[in-house]
Amino acid sequence: EERRARANDREYNEKFQYASNCIKTSKYNILTFLPVNLFEQFQEVANTYFLFLLILQLIPQISSLSWFTTIVPLVLVLTITAVKDATDDYFRHKSDNQVNNRQSQVLINGILQQEQWMNVCVGDIIKLENNQFVAADLLLLSSSEPHGLCYIETAELDGETNMKVRQAIPVTSELGDISKLAKFDGEVICEPPNNKLDKFSGTLYWKENKFPLSNQNMLLRGCVLRNTEWCFGLVIFAGPDTKLMQNSGRTKFKRTSIDRLMNTLVLWVEVIRLGHSYFINWDKKMFCMKKRTPAEARTTTLNEELGQVEYIFSDKTGTLTQNIMVFNKCSINGRSYGDVFDVLGHKAELGERPEPVDFSFNPLADKKFLFWDPSLLEAVKIGDPHTHEFFRLLSLCHTVMSEEKNEGELYYKAQSPDEGALVTAARNFGFVFRSRTPKTITVHEMGTAITYQLLAILDFNNIRKRMSVIVRNPEGKIRLYCKGADTILLDRLHHSTQELLNTTMDHLNEYAGEGLRTLVLAYKDLDEEYYEEWAERRLQASLAQDSREDRLASIYEEVENNMMLLGATAIEDKLQQGVPETIALLTLANIKIWVLTGDKQETAVNIGYSCKMLTDDMTEVFIVTGHTVLEVREELRKAREKMMDSSRSVGNGFTYQEKLSSSKLTSVLEAVAGEYALVINGHSLAHALEADMELEFLETACACKAVICCRVTPLQKAQVVELVKKYKKAVTLAIGDGANDVSMIKTAHIGVGISGQEGIQAVLASDYSFSQFKFLQRLLLVHGRWSYLRMCKFLCYFFYKNFAFTMVHFWFGFFCGFSAQTVYDQYFITLYNIVYTSLPVLAMGVFDQDVPEQRSMEYPKLYEPGQLNLLFNKREFFICIAQGIYTSVLMFFIPYGVFADATRDDGTQLADYQSFAVTVATSLVIVVSVQIGLDTGYWTAINHFFIWGSLAVYFAILFAMHSNGLFDMFPNQFRFVGNAQNTLAQPTVWLTIVLTTVVCIMPVVAFRFLRLNLKPDLSDTVRYTQLVRKKQKAQHRCMRRVGRTGSRRSGYAFSHQEGFGELIMSGKNMRLSSLALSSFTTRSSSSWIESLRRKKSDSASSPSGGADKPLKG
Amino acid sequence: MEERPQHRPSRLPDNSALKQQELPAHRLYFTARRVLFVFFTTGIFSLCMGIILILSARSTQEIEINYTRICANCAKLRENASNFDKECTCSIPFNLSGKMMGNIYMYYKLYGFYQNLYRYVRSRSNRQLMGKDIKAVDDCAPFKMSDNKTPIVPCGAIANSMFNDTIILLHNINSSVQIKVPMLKSGLTWWTDKYVKFQNPSSKNLADEFRGTTKPPNWPKPIYDLDKKDPRNNGFLNDDFIVWMRAAAFPTFKKLYGRLNRTHHFIEGLPAGNYSLNITYNFPVTRFHGEKSVVLSTLTWCGGNSLFLGLAYTVTGAITWLASFAMMAIHIMLKNKKMSFFHQ
Repeated sequence: EERRARANDREYNEKFQYASNCIKTSKYNILTFLPVNLFEQFQEVANTYFLFLLILQLIPQISSLSWFTTIVPLVLVLTITAVKDATDDYFRHKSDNQVNNRQSQVLINGILQQEQWMNVCVGDIIKLENNQFVAADLLLLSSSEPHGLCYIETAELDGETNMKVRQAIPVTSELGDISKLAKFDGEVICEPPNNKLDKFSGTLYWKENKFPLSNQNMLLRGCVLRNTEWCFGLVIFAGPDTKLMQNSGRTKFKRTSIDRLMNTLVLWVEVIRLGHSYFINWDKKMFCMKKRTPAEARTTTLNEELGQVEYIFSDKTGTLTQNIMVFNKCSINGRSYGDVFDVLGHKAELGERPEPVDFSFNPLADKKFLFWDPSLLEAVKIGDPHTHEFFRLLSLCHTVMSEEKNEGELYYKAQSPDEGALVTAARNFGFVFRSRTPKTITVHEMGTAITYQLLAILDFNNIRKRMSVIVRNPEGKIRLYCKGADTILLDRLHHSTQELLNTTMDHLNEYAGEGLRTLVLAYKDLDEEYYEEWAERRLQASLAQDSREDRLASIYEEVENNMMLLGATAIEDKLQQGVPETIALLTLANIKIWVLTGDKQETAVNIGYSCKMLTDDMTEVFIVTGHTVLEVREELRKAREKMMDSSRSVGNGFTYQEKLSSSKLTSVLEAVAGEYALVINGHSLAHALEADMELEFLETACACKAVICCRVTPLQKAQVVELVKKYKKAVTLAIGDGANDVSMIKTAHIGVGISGQEGIQAVLASDYSFSQFKFLQRLLLVHGRWSYLRMCKFLCYFFYKNFAFTMVHFWFGFFCGFSAQTVYDQYFITLYNIVYTSLPVLAMGVFDQDVPEQRSMEYPKLYEPGQLNLLFNKREFFICIAQGIYTSVLMFFIPYGVFADATRDDGTQLADYQSFAVTVATSLVIVVSVQIGLDTGYWTAINHFFIWGSLAVYFAILFAMHSNGLFDMFPNQFRFVGNAQNTLAQPTVWLTIVLTTVVCIMPVVAFRFLRLNLKPDLSDTVRYTQLVRKKQKAQHRCMRRVGRTGSRRSGYAFSHQEGFGELIMSGKNMRLSSLALSSFTTRSSSSWIESLRRKKSDSASSPSGGADKPLKG
Repeated sequence: MEERPQHRPSRLPDNSALKQQELPAHRLYFTARRVLFVFFTTGIFSLCMGIILILSARSTQEIEINYTRICANCAKLRENASNFDKECTCSIPFNLSGKMMGNIYMYYKLYGFYQNLYRYVRSRSNRQLMGKDIKAVDDCAPFKMSDNKTPIVPCGAIANSMFNDTIILLHNINSSVQIKVPMLKSGLTWWTDKYVKFQNPSSKNLADEFRGTTKPPNWPKPIYDLDKKDPRNNGFLNDDFIVWMRAAAFPTFKKLYGRLNRTHHFIEGLPAGNYSLNITYNFPVTRFHGEKSVVLSTLTWCGGNSLFLGLAYTVTGAITWLASFAMMAIHIMLKNKKMSFFHQ
């Protein structure tokens, strides 16, 4: 089952018939469309039922209706559905084509040629350039960077925001130019295609040598090449075999619950949904000007479920956040900078800000950097030593690489966007990090180039939560600069800084309250002897064979102590527009929002706060980080206990006790008082999702207002969604932007993709797509709510009118010896549902609005009926049917009472069968038309046209069918000749019709009027009262109120990874040109990449380290 | 001043009212004022209509003479189909206490005869009846052909079961003098039936036209002998035949048999006095436990003397009024409560 691929040998590789790089998400082609689509359609019970009916009706002995009464609707249904499916598939073809036709450079016969993605084969060598998408799963051969390094962004794949580094194996990293590559004929033998994103094992056979390959050498499809000019890769997996596609799962046919409830009557439902989908596509308010992307309903079958969503599963990066870090505020020596005050001394709101600070004094400044508080620059300019030291720290203590293509054009390659933001801030304020070598860092301080000797980098990791550099300045003084989490650093400060510490803490709390990501900065002077001695011990520790980690950690710990506090930075992880407002609104609409992210816990929690999912008003935020089953179980149990304890003490203790004893844990938990939140880590989640704990986890999670799962894999995202789907009878919606969200998007009832990003996998898998998270509120509260309302009204009316229509036969049966004689003309039966009564209800189903759209945003509670499915459930269904039956009774017995004993005004009999048929049919059409008139809450011109038009068409067809001309041609088909004019000329007939209408409609009007008075629901109240508006505005204001004050929590979050410090000190990632500046000391350790890899697998939630270990030999 | 052309993004949705769901529309509100207004007016209308209809119906006169039991001997005879050629008549005397004024219509009324059975209703050939193709008997099962494969004219179950009693109304001026009340046998049908739906084959001689066909099994004489005196009433154009062929909706029905010819003695209608009905009893009803009777009736604009519609309207009107008062009371009661709620 292993895979073999030989470079530059298409003939050899073709033998194995590997999948090509062409992806296919479409279902049909021109030839297969008709049979496959028909086959699918006849899998629907309704259609087969109609087909069966049709066959029966073709047998005259057993049928009371002619065959065309069935075939006309059936063919219509099949055609419309087919057209819809074809359109859907056409768009899938289109997007497939777009992806398949992307260009890539392939090495063919020794020449680089432009090829479409779909023509790339396993074994091809392709060239990638900076910022390009990786076209297939590649083995990295060589790159523009030294040592065959290359940087990739994997956000698309796993949602992690920091840059990853990949390295070619040494033998191939030499293959820099095309002629060498063309001669490369290595053969790779590796594992078969699978969906494990962080695992790869294989061997390269070349020149009679074996070289082990691991994930560290692989570039996966969906990644983007960053900070690397070019690289060459050998295609190992293509198209559907790539890890990305293997992770995306199969396209499942999604159905709404209404579908499941009634899969008859498909036709009109489909038409209405199509209409609703177009409204979504057309909505200007869901059009993103910046990205020029309109919202798009990619499937047209799920609209009404948009009005019933109870759980939203959201990705973080790219969905809630823009993945842009902005240096927003800082606190230096007890003074906070970054707030903008207006003339009166109030904090200025967005939009009323003055001009940004002018950095023109600094030729090296980054033009894109914006800062609004001029006092900070003033402090720098007047030479405040603290401020200078602050920025000096920022320009020295980091792992950023710089590149200067032309004089003064600086580019920073930052491993994490946080660091990039900090170093860029220092750059603009006059402390420009210019270049580095393994042993030096050159900084332009206020225009003067100063080179610091870099003595050590005490690297960042998740336990230390800090990093330090030890540098020697030109004067020869040794200083340690440290930045890190407040909780960690504050314990390591010198006691003399206590007062400053208190002020800084206040600032930190303020920043954290605003959802900013904070870091504390500190320094410490070291004397020469101490450093020498410490460096020696460090060297010893790093050479130790056993527990090297721990020894190093304690040595770092030792030096990072008694530091002097400098200040703190606050970085804003920029949210997408309107995210907190949207989340607040959706929460008010009783929708629970879970954030599932691949990112780190701190980052995720931080975003939770900044988008107001987590608030300080919450009673408690539970954090589950256990590594074993027992730990996780214990943590969940404790969380539940706490919640129940508090609700027992808050509520009536007695009742809760009673409930407890009835062992209905779930119901108790759902009734807990107080707001809780749950944060769970990926590795704990893996245990929590096991069969024996999943229910416990779900109960705990559902009792919380907000749930954040961090460091989760794409598969876990899907599992969480699946879990909620399985146990909660609730509609779930997943929203995400990257390839790592595909599985969850496909699993949820409704999948939403964020469009307008670089990657389109999520959009391709989604049911709806738009470019801003904030559009979700409009999609759900306006479109979804209306769709649900309309669909329910449509269904109610549909059942009503059909029961009114059909049940008349039942009553007639008592008078015709149950001989299956129909009450109506067969043409009326054929046309009733598709012509006479279809368009008005269709217009209602498409256009109806109960309250204006602004109101449904103002009153999120209006969304609740959908979640509880109040508008169309069994009870409503029976009410509709009862109304239909009531109507049918009157529809039959009133004409019967009149006709039984009456004569026409010319003496001839009135009660002939045909006159009766016409009378009942006419009153039926009139009654159901009046009824739709009452049901239509929003009368547009189209509704008028359809309702009056339907009536007109009814009479027109009636008179046409009963005309002499048609009878002359087909006497046996049109038996009702002369009936219309003879019957409808009778005043008695009209009096009967009027009476029937009155008695059918008046009770309905009375019932609705009384319900409105006695038991109005919220939408009624909203509709009928304008007074309430004022009240609601107040609530709106409350909702927008931002922030709070005075809580004690850390705003620390840093998307950083260990290993880069070592990488820098080794000099491996530096170009020779810059290395030439310094004496390149060969360090024995080449372990940086190993440690990078190790940290990676440690932090990843699934234990996969084994396979990644390099093979020795 | 130079203005740069504003390039709209091509994918920006149209700002049309339809696409933005902002079509101008009238919102339907069930306000108290409207609902109560509709209820009150509907109530008034229904009550008035009911009273008018009841008064109109009361102004008509109708008598019904059930002759199923009175002619018991004939009924017994007809129970055996083999006696079809034996004639049986019976005479039923009755007294008209007051005179019946105006146009008088005579009906025969059948009880328990299901002309609306599914297979019965369809068992006819309009093609044949419109005279185009008298041999078109496709839809007429089970009365398409006779045993020797001759097509039946008129074919089908409806035609075969045609009502064939003869009813003659006699006025006994005194104990010795009896005069026959003149009845018109024309104008009993819809115009479209007589002139469109039913047509004889074109030729002058009907018997020739119908050669090669046979009469329905239950008929004593062929179609072209239904009314030998009046060619406008013979063949398919026979009014009695056309009336019968218009199948009734319910198992109890009456069909028009004749109209009083208002001449001489009967110029104002039927004078009071003694009458008798001479009935040639051919149509068997006791076999299916049915009954038959003769009805004499006058008419108004709304048909006969049925009170149903009038009563239904009256009751509806009364209930609607009661309901509107009840609703008004509830509404006023709740209004105060609501006002305080919204003003809080």
